[in-house]
Amino acid sequence: MEGEVNTRVEGDIIYAEVTGDQTEALVGPKGAILDAVMELCRTMVHRHSQSGARLRLDIAGYAERRREALRIYARRLAEKVVAEGGEIMLEPMNPADRKVVHDAIAEIDGVRSFSEGEDPERSVVIAPDEDDEDEED
Amino acid sequence: MKGEIVERVVTYVAKAIAEEPEAVRVEMIDEGPDRVLAEVRTAKRDMGRVIGRRGRVANAFRTLAQAAGDEEGIQASVEFVD
Repeated sequence: MEGEVNTRVEGDIIYAEVTGDQTEALVGPKGAILDAVMELCRTMVHRHSQSGARLRLDIAGYAERRREALRIYARRLAEKVVAEGGEIMLEPMNPADRKVVHDAIAEIDGVRSFSEGEDPERSVVIAPDEDDEDEED
Repeated sequence: MKGEIVERVVTYVAKAIAEEPEAVRVEMIDEGPDRVLAEVRTAKRDMGRVIGRRGRVANAFRTLAQAAGDEEGIQASVEFVD
């Protein structure tokens, strides 16, 4: 397997992207291996820097495709809220996925989003935007 | 040797995570024709780190070890021994 890793640092977030031949194999079913590698890399980063550096890892573009799918899903639900009113609660998500949804909803007029519940059951709610309240995590 | 990739991967990651990498020991145990178990021992103070909150890091080890095992066509599991 041939591959390369590109890293860049923005603020306190380290972005690492693995690309190359057959690196899809490193993603695993439903991204399970990607998640495992990310968890282990995070633990390594914390061991080597006491700072609260955060890590985002992507392999073969999988994480970005997944985020895009999440944005499309969020937009579709937002259209439903605009058309029919009422609130929609999404399934529980981790903070990174919730941020993707909040960011997608923030770009759409007429809806707002907020989170409810406690991790790991914390969920995004999409609601009609009646009073210009900002989205919040 | 069976389980060689699993052993290399588990050892590399455990040493990278541990405060005392020189204390990390990975013992491969033959559990059948296509099964291996990696027993990981670390310095006492590193045990919590390699297991993680609610076993998150330990489970990540298991997923990665199985991925390495797939390369060799074997089942691989990981246990952390005090």
